[in-house]
Amino acid sequence: MREMIVSELSQALHEMARGFAHFLPRIIVMLILAALGWVIAYVVKVILRSILRLVKLDKLSENAGASQLLSKAALPSPTEVLSRFVFWIAWLGFILLGVSVLGILGLQEQVARFFLFLPRLFVAMFIMFFGLLAASFFSRAALLAAVNANVPSPRVLSLAVRSIIIVFVLSIVFEELGLAEQTMLVAFGIAFGALMLGLAIAFGMGGRDLARRFLEKKIVRGKKEANEDELSPL
Amino acid sequence: MLLEARLHDGAVFRTETKVAEESYLTDDFLRQLMNVGEVDILVGLPTHNNAKTVGSIVHTIQSGILRGFPRERAVIINADGGSRDGTPELVTGVSIDDVRPASNLQALRTLHSISTKYASSSRSASGAFRTILAAAELLRPKACVVMSPESANIQPEWLSKLLRPIFDDGFDLVTPIYRRHKFQGLLITNLLYPMTRALYGLRIREAYSPEFGFSGRLGSQFLGQNVWSDETEGAGVELRFTLAAITGKYRICQSFLGDKDRIERRAVDLVPALRQTAGALFSALEPDFPVWSVVTGSQPAPTTGSDQEVLLEALRVNRKRLREMFLAGIAELESVFQSILSPSTLAELQSIAHLGEEEFRYPAELWVRTVYEFAASYQKSVISRDHIIQALAPLFRGRMFTFLTENRNASAGDVEKNIEDLCLVFERLKPYLLQLWKTRE
Amino acid sequence: MPLNRDVLWYKDAIVYQVHVRTFHDSNGDGIGDFQGLEGKLDYLEELAINAIWLMPFFPSPLRDDGYDIADYNAVHSSYGTLEDFRKFLGSAHDRGIRVIIELVSNHTSDQHLWFQESRSSKDNPRRDWYVWSDTDTRYKGARIIFLDTETSNWAWDPISKSFYWHRFFSHQPDLNYDNPAVREQMWNVMKFWLEMGVDAFRLDAVPYLVEREGTNCENLPETHDVLKELRRKLDEHFPGRMLLAEANQWPADLRPYFGDGDEFHMAFHFPLMPRMFMGLKLEDRKPITEILQQTPEIPPSCQWSLFLRNHDELTLEMVTDMERDYMYDMYAGSKTMRLNLGIRRRLAPLLDNDRRRIELMNGMLMSLPGTPIIYYGDEIGMGDNINLGDRNGVRTPMQWNGGWNGGFSTAAPERLYAPLIEDPVYGYPAVNVLRQKASEHSLLNWMQSIVTVRKSTTVFGRGSIEFLYPANHRILAYVRRLGNEVVLVVNNLSSTAQAVELDLRRYKGNILIEMFGKNIFPRVGDLPYLLTMGPYQFYWFRLRRI
Repeated sequence: MREMIVSELSQALHEMARGFAHFLPRIIVMLILAALGWVIAYVVKVILRSILRLVKLDKLSENAGASQLLSKAALPSPTEVLSRFVFWIAWLGFILLGVSVLGILGLQEQVARFFLFLPRLFVAMFIMFFGLLAASFFSRAALLAAVNANVPSPRVLSLAVRSIIIVFVLSIVFEELGLAEQTMLVAFGIAFGALMLGLAIAFGMGGRDLARRFLEKKIVRGKKEANEDELSPL
Repeated sequence: MLLEARLHDGAVFRTETKVAEESYLTDDFLRQLMNVGEVDILVGLPTHNNAKTVGSIVHTIQSGILRGFPRERAVIINADGGSRDGTPELVTGVSIDDVRPASNLQALRTLHSISTKYASSSRSASGAFRTILAAAELLRPKACVVMSPESANIQPEWLSKLLRPIFDDGFDLVTPIYRRHKFQGLLITNLLYPMTRALYGLRIREAYSPEFGFSGRLGSQFLGQNVWSDETEGAGVELRFTLAAITGKYRICQSFLGDKDRIERRAVDLVPALRQTAGALFSALEPDFPVWSVVTGSQPAPTTGSDQEVLLEALRVNRKRLREMFLAGIAELESVFQSILSPSTLAELQSIAHLGEEEFRYPAELWVRTVYEFAASYQKSVISRDHIIQALAPLFRGRMFTFLTENRNASAGDVEKNIEDLCLVFERLKPYLLQLWKTRE
Repeated sequence: MPLNRDVLWYKDAIVYQVHVRTFHDSNGDGIGDFQGLEGKLDYLEELAINAIWLMPFFPSPLRDDGYDIADYNAVHSSYGTLEDFRKFLGSAHDRGIRVIIELVSNHTSDQHLWFQESRSSKDNPRRDWYVWSDTDTRYKGARIIFLDTETSNWAWDPISKSFYWHRFFSHQPDLNYDNPAVREQMWNVMKFWLEMGVDAFRLDAVPYLVEREGTNCENLPETHDVLKELRRKLDEHFPGRMLLAEANQWPADLRPYFGDGDEFHMAFHFPLMPRMFMGLKLEDRKPITEILQQTPEIPPSCQWSLFLRNHDELTLEMVTDMERDYMYDMYAGSKTMRLNLGIRRRLAPLLDNDRRRIELMNGMLMSLPGTPIIYYGDEIGMGDNINLGDRNGVRTPMQWNGGWNGGFSTAAPERLYAPLIEDPVYGYPAVNVLRQKASEHSLLNWMQSIVTVRKSTTVFGRGSIEFLYPANHRILAYVRRLGNEVVLVVNNLSSTAQAVELDLRRYKGNILIEMFGKNIFPRVGDLPYLLTMGPYQFYWFRLRRI
């Protein structure tokens, strides 16, 4: 009995030792991969950061208003965000590679899927980032133009511009990610339609006013200009 | 150099108009310049659909040259932005030469009048000015003058007044002084003049004007500067030119010309005007920081001709509309102002927006702080720089309203004094701008 | 080489203007004479000129350099005898050189016998030969020409107690051409010289012959009548002889002096000359082309006479005030260089002794339409002496060599009629014929070659002119054409190198042959003909279709 136990135990120990001995190199490989991955990811990050600085991404996003968006979310500059993001993605990739070396069943499949998904995620984030930038830039441009042209309800106009762009961007992003395509398409179709309807109504309401003013101006203009001197600012 | 290169590769033989890859001057224009040769005086005339006025302007320029500089070699260079009303033909048609001896003008020598289309990629007049400077670089004039194609009051003497100080006294830049209505050029009296004066320390009344004279060496130096690829797309490049003359320690003087058109034929829109003045000034502040940061107080610029004076006749201005647009701006642009202005300044603006029409005042000090904060935000690019300039427009309308109200019954002396006071506020608050500048993020 | 028989000889002539007094002194009295001049004919023949214009050599008190004649039918004793003149004339003709003499027809010296008689009493038969008046208020419309010396055109004669009319100096009373006897007498004078063999007359001061109240007394129809009568007689009795008018007038006012080919054969083109100097200084062809555009067509038998400098001041009467001021400032910086309305300087000093500019100006003189006149001494680049009064500064002795009196005379230097130029730049040791003959590249040898090239074709003297107007205004270019013969002349008026594109499409297919070196230039094609020109350079091209 005792011998059996001892033999079983020793056999188990043996097995374990053998298993461990069998497994150890993989762990070491995994650790090496993780370490190597960190180094490579770090180098990629540094290179990317200097490239982004060279192309003045920060200035670009500042002008577009993306930096404000980021700073509101307590995030560092776009250059930093992007390079850190790339760093983590790259390192994560290496770690997952290491994990797959361990040969744990099921995990491998997930890792493979992750790698397949990665480029799409990347593109989607890219589109999202610039889409948001564009939305913020053009909505502000519309706002300022409307204020300086003395057009009524500038903020509605600005909001409309922003919404249209964001809706459009989101639809592209989801399409790219391939998330519940059908559902999303229908949902956005409805949302888009509703928005358009709302805008149409809003413009109709405001437009009544606008049309009246326009007509007034046309008719009354002659009389008004005769009485008024135009001041040249320069 | 360029001229020779074109000669040797035989390009001069080609007759079609084509922009050479390495140059923004067309081959045809280069050939014309070659025929003009070295000159003493170069008159630049930027145009774009000015057929109505340009004929008489060119004749005035011509008689100005013949009267003031009969012996000097002169050329009129028209840089046209693609007119479709025959403006360039009107300019070139008045050359004085032996092919068309019908001219009854007494002239010793040939007076070339040539025209070229400048690259219209830039939306402003900077292409025109650059073309004129490039022509000057090749023709090596002693003195150049740029004339407006629209001035209704232009006199032949203006040429002498802008050129003589350069020719005889060795000045490098001559800016004009006009007799104006007291409410004309408010952007100049309320922003451009006081701010350039406070920052650069030289009292130049019209740092941005459609007419000015300059020496060949200043033009040459400026042409080589890196202002042409600026993000302002060259708006207000003439102002940058004046500032470059100040920072380059060139000799500058002012010359009294005469009446400025009281009412512009084409009332200039405020936003483009702001781009050309405030925009150009703000964008110059960054490269010029080493210069203006150490300037305190201001010096008068040497001035010839009678002194600054204003006209007082009554004007009917829609002041109500100015205030309305100010109020609309404050109400609608809060989110934009939040990123440009300091919270205290924004709060003060919001509080004056609540005042009734009678009590409404946009005080000088608040205006100066507003402008300085805009300049600093512009430098930091907190949002798109062009948006910053656009956001200034409604606030400037509020300031206009106040200036009009305060000076409604003011005499010429009072108006001048009020402007002087505003200048002093700009000078006094300059440390505030420096402080804003230093708190870079 | 005997004289050719062409009646239009003056169209192909190259005239050399000289005063016998200034050229060479054969008898050592300090004054040049006809024997001396005759001795130098070989030099002139070598220079290839084919006409000599002699300034007045008649007996005269010489208060106006001989233009105050005291006897029309004799030779001033200082210059020799009538026989000397006859011999000189024969020698000149033997060399194919014609002789033009002066006919000072407007006025005489107050020493002339005619005037002595005329002033002697109011009843004298010759009283009417001059213009007399009891007042000095008649003909107020006439301008005063010698502004620097005269205050009125009338002078008081204390002997006959009345005023006499003079357009020039007060010692030069004007003849009265309303008097048929005067006209007849003047024809007799001409006949005297023509019979001797003289080829042509230069008529001095022709616009002023007749006076009429209420006019400026210049260019009057009556004056033209007088001149036409003389021409008719000349053609009738002496065909092939020539009349040259001196009338300092605008081209349009000069045109009537050609009549319908029945008045003068030739006339000086006065307004062109200052404009050539002006165009050169301005580096702009405008003054030159403008004045030639304003120059009217003249009858086929007539000819302009062109000159750069002559014995008078460089006259600035035929320019605007602005142009005159410019010319004074550019060419006569010192006030002493100015005289009346002109500049009293020679060619070389005017052009800063710049060989390139001297050559360019001579090139234009020889290629513009007209008969060129070379003023003595200018062919070697002689200087002037502005310290001598009046116009004597440009009338100093000819500089033959570096020896005694420059080879002009064996007299003691103080006995010379005028001192030689002695300054280091223009003085006779530096500038003289002998030295320039020895040097292949001297101005003298260059002048000889340009005269020879000019004479190689009649197109310059007789051809039409058509200006090209290249966009480069520093280039003066024109095409001279006579029948099939076409010559292209391109002048660079600028002190710097220039490129010019000439529109020669009319002459497409022609080859250009440079006339001095006979070198071939590229054929004319469809493109503008590109030439590059050095400072003050000029080209003469013969266009040939081969």
